[in-house]
Amino acid sequence: MNTAKSKGLSLCPKCHKLNSLTTEPQQCRRCHGLFYQRKRNSLQYTLAWNVAALIAFIPANLYPIMIVYQLGIPSDATILSGIGEFIDHGLYPIAIIIFTASIIVPLIKIIGLFVLVYKAHTGIRLKPNKHSKIYHILEFLGPWSMLDVFVVALMVTVVELGFVTSVAAGPAINYFTITVIFTMFAANSFDPRLLWDKKADKKTTEQALLPSDKLLENLLGTLPEEKGQK
Amino acid sequence: MNSKINPIFFVACQQCDALYDKPQLKQGQLAKCNRCGSTLIERKVDSIERSFNWSLAGLMLMLPAILLPIMGVTLAGQFHQASLFDCILVLIDRGFFMIACLVFLFAIAVPIVRLAGALYISYSFKFNKLKPSLLNFFRAYHYLDNWAMLNVFMLGIVVSMYKLIDDTELSVNLGLFAFVFWLICSTMSAAALDQDYIWDKLERAFPRSCANEHC
Repeated sequence: MNTAKSKGLSLCPKCHKLNSLTTEPQQCRRCHGLFYQRKRNSLQYTLAWNVAALIAFIPANLYPIMIVYQLGIPSDATILSGIGEFIDHGLYPIAIIIFTASIIVPLIKIIGLFVLVYKAHTGIRLKPNKHSKIYHILEFLGPWSMLDVFVVALMVTVVELGFVTSVAAGPAINYFTITVIFTMFAANSFDPRLLWDKKADKKTTEQALLPSDKLLENLLGTLPEEKGQK
Repeated sequence: MNSKINPIFFVACQQCDALYDKPQLKQGQLAKCNRCGSTLIERKVDSIERSFNWSLAGLMLMLPAILLPIMGVTLAGQFHQASLFDCILVLIDRGFFMIACLVFLFAIAVPIVRLAGALYISYSFKFNKLKPSLLNFFRAYHYLDNWAMLNVFMLGIVVSMYKLIDDTELSVNLGLFAFVFWLICSTMSAAALDQDYIWDKLERAFPRSCANEHC
């Protein structure tokens, strides 16, 4: 399979125009933007944003995300206890949606990107076909974890009835948005083409190794016979 | 080294970098990558016309969607309703600046800028008023691709309505309908915009003035 990289071409990430690569960064012939053949330091950036997101995810779960004042008495809820409340009230669909959007999706994104970075770096058991699909799913899921933030924002605005009932956002909301935005940055800075590059590299090295091994075996196999004939 | 290969006759997959001969597509056809299955090139039907109309409709719906109240709550005899704009004002009032910023950016500013951008681009194509500045404009337009979150906000509205429906009397207002239509318009206008076609035309209209000796 020919790739643009192997032919000395590179694709502009903004306007998808093929350019022959002469300098790095290359200026695109069509949109005049500067770009690199692959996203530069892609794996390092992804890893860094990912670690930052993981760190921010800890306080996001420990601090209360929403504080409900009923007759002036505050009761605060973290993400998990909020979900527990839904289950107590029997609101299972909402519990599932919130649980998916605010716990499972960020965790899957962070873990998935760690795995992808690891695979792209080492090339161990790398299946680019499968893994690039995983990457697209992760990229698509990104914004959906903002759901909880928007829900809290709406609750704060709508349920504002002075002393009787009011809702305030807890400190966790800031950490949670930071987590979501950082995972989006991480997903954006990952370059799925690195997966294919690594696979192609591995194949060529294996192919370079295999024939020579076979040649050696053949040589070893044939040599004694030839000697005997002589 | 490989300078004999003319990049005009080839197209590469954005996701896996596989190289193909450039296909000639008619309207409504799309080419997919053999290796990873993502779309290489797509020619959309009536792209300019459709995106112009959708984005115009979106911009008209923008004000009602933002200013009309989305939902109202009656609790203990008190009635209170909120629009998207109120939402931001209340959040700023109560000191949650970060959420206020986020809601403003992702649910108001980015969708509006994208709609206006799509309108401007399709307008200048429709009436044949191409300017060299469109190159930079359209390139900048792509930076906002991931950051419009109207659909997430819509789900947020649904979830919070579900939350409130048990304890309070909930009333749905006109703003919600305006918001839904706004969401549809902005999604459609972004989806209708045919990037390959637009870039192709821009390239032909403004062949690159050779800034460096390599081209």
